Amino acid sequence: MGLSFPSDLEAYLDVKNLPSKQKAKGLANLKNILIVFIIFLLVPLVVKSPYYLTLLTTAGIGAVLAMTFILLLRTGLVNMAIAAFWGMGAYFSTIMSMKLDMSFWLCLPMSAILTGIIGLILGLILVRNPGFSFVIMTMVIAMVFVVAVGSTEELGGYSGMLRIPRPDPIHIPFLFTLKFKTNMASYYLMVVLVLLMVVLLSLLYASSIGRAWTVIGLNSQLAESLGINVFRYRLAAFFLAGTIAGLMGSFYVHYLGSVNPETFNLFKTVHVFIYAILGGIQFPFLGPIVGSLVMVFFPEFIRTTQELESIITGGVLLILIIFLPAGILSLPGLRTFASNPAQIFSKYAQAVRSPWSRERSSDK
Amino acid sequence: MLTLIGQLIVDGIAMGMVYVMLSAGIVFIMSVTGIFYLAYGQFYMIGAFLTWGAVVLFNLPFPAALALAVIATTILGLLSYLLLFQHTMASEEKFLATIVAAVALMMVLGQGGLVVFGASPRSLPDLFTGNISAFGITISVAKMVVVLIGIAVILLLFLFYTKTKTGRAMRAVSFLPETASLQGINTKAICLACVGIGTALAGFAGGIIAPGYGLVPEMGNNIILNVLLIAMLGGIDSVLGAVLGGLVVGLILSFGQYFFGARVQIILFITIGIIISIRPGGLLGRKELTL
Repeated sequence: MGLSFPSDLEAYLDVKNLPSKQKAKGLANLKNILIVFIIFLLVPLVVKSPYYLTLLTTAGIGAVLAMTFILLLRTGLVNMAIAAFWGMGAYFSTIMSMKLDMSFWLCLPMSAILTGIIGLILGLILVRNPGFSFVIMTMVIAMVFVVAVGSTEELGGYSGMLRIPRPDPIHIPFLFTLKFKTNMASYYLMVVLVLLMVVLLSLLYASSIGRAWTVIGLNSQLAESLGINVFRYRLAAFFLAGTIAGLMGSFYVHYLGSVNPETFNLFKTVHVFIYAILGGIQFPFLGPIVGSLVMVFFPEFIRTTQELESIITGGVLLILIIFLPAGILSLPGLRTFASNPAQIFSKYAQAVRSPWSRERSSDK
Repeated sequence: MLTLIGQLIVDGIAMGMVYVMLSAGIVFIMSVTGIFYLAYGQFYMIGAFLTWGAVVLFNLPFPAALALAVIATTILGLLSYLLLFQHTMASEEKFLATIVAAVALMMVLGQGGLVVFGASPRSLPDLFTGNISAFGITISVAKMVVVLIGIAVILLLFLFYTKTKTGRAMRAVSFLPETASLQGINTKAICLACVGIGTALAGFAGGIIAPGYGLVPEMGNNIILNVLLIAMLGGIDSVLGAVLGGLVVGLILSFGQYFFGARVQIILFITIGIIISIRPGGLLGRKELTL
C-alpha cells in the first residue's frame, strides 16, 4: 500500500537481530502512554459537567476503535466492518444481559469473545483475499449487518432496544461498593478499559508478533519469503480487532442504555477512519486519541452555529486533510511530543529539579 | 400472469435506471481516477434540487432547468477535483486521505443542501402527468421519460468510453496511469474530464427523476450505499458491469418487493455478498485493483 512507518524501519532492517532494542522502545512507549493516562484520570477533577464526561467517554470508545483500525492497517488490511463488529459486541451483550439475565461483568468478556469468534470465522474467508477485495467484502459485511439486525424483530428491528441495564455494582469486601450510576463512574470505567486495550496492543506491538505485523504491512511478499506466515498473522490481527471492537460494543450499550442498528453503519466506520487518519496513522495510540477528541469536541465548540455546524466541521476537515494529509500529529513540534512525551516532561521536570530529571528515556 | 411479470419488469427497469446511471458514473470516476468518491450521492441530490428550484422558483422550462442543474453540478465536481482531490491523490497517504476528503465533502455538500433547500420534501407533480398503457402494463409518463432518456444517456456514455479516442485514453489511465502518461496521455486532464462527466451524470440523474419522485435532502446519503454495492457487484472497473448490475438490482427489488415485501433488501444484500465473496472482482471485473 505504500505506507511508511519510518520509526519502525530499524525493526524492518534488523528483523531477526536486535529484539532487545524493539522491546526497549516498546516499553518506553508504554511509559509515555501511562503518562497520557494519568492526565486522563485527572480530567474529571477539572471537568465536572456530566455532558462533557459523556462526550469524553464517546471519544474514548471511538479512539479504541480507531486503534483497531490502525492495528489492521499495519498488516495491510483496510477493515470497513469495524462498526459492524462493534455492533455485534453490542447486540451480544444486550441479548446476554436482557434475555439471559447475565451480569455485565460476565457479558463484557463473553461478548468480546463471541465477536472475536465471529471475526475469526469471517476472517478465514476474508483474509485469504487481501487488498481491494478485502475492502469490498468488509463493506458488504457492514451493510448486511445493519440490514440483518434491522429486519429482525427479536432484536428490536430498526427502532432498537431500550432500558439496557447499567453495569452491576462491584462489592469490594471490607471497603466500599463501586456503583455505576453516574457519568463519572462510566468515564472511569472507560479509562480503565482503554488503558487495558492500549497496554495489550502496546505489548503486542513490542513483541515479535508486532514486528511480524510491521513487516507484513511494509512488504508482504518479503515477509512471506522470510518465513512469516502472512495469512496467520493477519488472521490473528483480525481476530484481535474483532475482540476489541466487541468489548467496546458491550461497554457502549450498557453505558448508553439503548441500542439501535443504524449506529453501526458504514458511515460510522468511516468516522472511525477519520479519527485515526486525522490524528496521524504513524501513531497507533496518540493518533486515534487526538483525532477522536478533535472530532468529538470541535462540533461542540461551534454548536452555536447550529445548522451550519456540519458544514464548518466538514470544511475544517477538508482544510486539515489538504494541508496535513499525514494527520495533525505530523506537525513538527507535535511529532517530537507524540513520539516521546516522557522525554519532554523530563526536560520540564529538570527545570524544577524533580526526581524525574534523573531518568534518561531511550531514544526515539 | 404474463401482464404481472411484464409490469414488474417495467417497474424494475424504471427503478433500476437511476441505479444504472449513478453506478455507471461512480465506476467511471473510481476506475479512472481512483478516488473513493463517497460524496457522489450529494451531486445527485444537488442536481435534483437545483432542477426543482429552477422550475418552481424561476419558472424555467424543464429542459432548461435540467441543463442548468447539470452545468452547476459539473462545475462543482470539477472544483472538487481541482481544489481537493488533486492534492489528496498526490499526497503520500493516497487512499486514506482521499476517503477523509470524500467524507468531508459529503458532509459539507449534504448539510449545505439541507441549509439551502430546507428539510421538507419537494416534488414537481405537474410536469409529466398521466400514464401510458400498453398490453395491460401501466407506467407513468414521468418514469417513462426517465427510462428513455436514461437509456439514451447511458448509450452515449458507452459509445464515448469504447469508441472515441478520449474514451480509450480513459481506459488506458484506468489500467496503468504511469504507462498511460508515458504514452503521451495527459493524465491530469483525463482525470479532470472523468470527474466532470461523472458528476454531470449524477446531476442529470437527479434532475431526471425530479418530476416523478419526491425529493428529500437525505437522498444523497440514502442512495450512495446501494450505488457502491452495485458498483462492487458489477466490477469496480467495468462500466458495463455497473449498468448490468443496476438493471439486475432494479429487477430484483421490483420482483422481491412484490413477492416478499420489505425483506427483499436483506435477501439482496446477502445475495450480493455471496456473489462478491465468490468473485471478489465483481461479475465483470477485469483485474485486482491495488491500493
